[in-house]
Amino acid sequence: MTEKAKKAVVIGSGLGGLLTAAQLAKDGWSVDVYERLSLIGGRFANIEYNGYQLSTGALHMVPHGTKGPLATMLRELGADFEIIQSSPMAIVRMPKNSGETDYKNGYEDTSHVDFKKHLTSKNKLMMVLLTLSFNAGLIRPGKVGFKTWYSKYIHDDRIDRCADSFTGWALSTTADEVTTREVFKIFRNVYKYGGPGILVGGCQTVIDELVRIISSNGGTVYTDMEVTRIIIQDGKATGVIAGGKVIAADLVISDIGHKEAWEICEIDGVECGGASQVSGFSNPAFKEYEEKLAGMKPSAGLKICFASDEQILPDGCSLMLTPYTRRINGLNEVTIADPSLAPPGKHLVMCHQRTALDRLDKIDEEIELGLEDVKDLFPDKKIEILIVQVHHGRWPVNRAFSGTDFGNKTPVSNLLVVGDGAKGEGGIEIEGITFGVRDAMKLIRSMDR
Amino acid sequence: MSRCIDKMYVNSNCVGCSQCIVFCKHGAITARGRAVISKICVECRVCISYCPMKAIQPGREA
Repeated sequence: MTEKAKKAVVIGSGLGGLLTAAQLAKDGWSVDVYERLSLIGGRFANIEYNGYQLSTGALHMVPHGTKGPLATMLRELGADFEIIQSSPMAIVRMPKNSGETDYKNGYEDTSHVDFKKHLTSKNKLMMVLLTLSFNAGLIRPGKVGFKTWYSKYIHDDRIDRCADSFTGWALSTTADEVTTREVFKIFRNVYKYGGPGILVGGCQTVIDELVRIISSNGGTVYTDMEVTRIIIQDGKATGVIAGGKVIAADLVISDIGHKEAWEICEIDGVECGGASQVSGFSNPAFKEYEEKLAGMKPSAGLKICFASDEQILPDGCSLMLTPYTRRINGLNEVTIADPSLAPPGKHLVMCHQRTALDRLDKIDEEIELGLEDVKDLFPDKKIEILIVQVHHGRWPVNRAFSGTDFGNKTPVSNLLVVGDGAKGEGGIEIEGITFGVRDAMKLIRSMDR
Repeated sequence: MSRCIDKMYVNSNCVGCSQCIVFCKHGAITARGRAVISKICVECRVCISYCPMKAIQPGREA
């Protein structure tokens, strides 16, 4: 008789949850994934609207394309997918005349490679020296904000704007809200793995494939099934309450965020009902964890999706950075890679703008500024605004500002967190989620031995 | 300004992610920073199970 498979429960069917579930199922675990909503995929799912394949969150993009961490993990799992690389990696829209601060008098679209021509020789040299010195370990700026750090060496409004545009588009932060260490790790990953690509079929291709892999390895993804409790006894997770039923488990994986998972923990029969109430417990690890949770700050952003009768970007290039707008940091024309993401003859563009947390109470104004940017960027194009999506708070762009995610571990050894809020260092969005899942699987496999 | 119709309302949890809009077969929801349910809502309640914020609720806003 074979040994009974160990049981893993995954809470939440976002990308991190499904990637982990697929690997666990392939490793021989009996896996249940519980999704509260009727929709699988979290913020990485397609939503169809008037014939356009929009998404719940992501921009149908894989930041490091076909050679990146996510694509590699998906191939290892046996997923069938296709990513079309953006070539050039990105174009940057600069004002026509130097010294101008908007696009009103025209613009020049330049590839990211040619962008350097807009810089002085001194700043070009300085950028090369700083990158080399950082890579050689000669300078260790650590947790200082990226802009604060480079401003000691370089003063150039164009660099400031481009840095904010890149971090706003990639991370939904300003260049100073992300640590220098994280930015350099991201740059290193761009060199190592390459630039972005668009998923043929959009995010849904990946989600459908992961569900297929989980199912074909004996796992099940349940929708409309909320996990209301994680049961912890004697310092170990023993199961969950899902859809009102107790499900025993040897391993519990949260893909709903650190805070959100901790809030539904029931420790030795006492409902937490909020992390702070557990502080009375004698375990100092709980207190330390809760203090860290209190400091976790989600980032906010705004996505404007629009349709155009004409193609916006040049053939092959699906990404544009827009450093001279009021709000929009960058955009993806996803139909450059896959025309089937829009009805025949139409083009689908997804714009992203970082939103300052202190502007969330004026979100109407932020949306208007973004919509004005769309008009200014494409004054001669016939554009139809399809949808405006805001992400913040408990449905954020990122559960923790990039570079401040704090790993997979909780004070309970067999309760691990994956996905957003548990991203690995130097990983943009879903690539960071992949790094986090890779780290979680290392922990699980070492526990298992 | 009332955001409620007879038996459904959007509570303050709503972040404006617009996910509900696409699942409404009746085109009754719009969102620019926050979802608004119009009078053409037939209270089929489909949107509730697609809201990640538990922001759409049956009943009248208190």
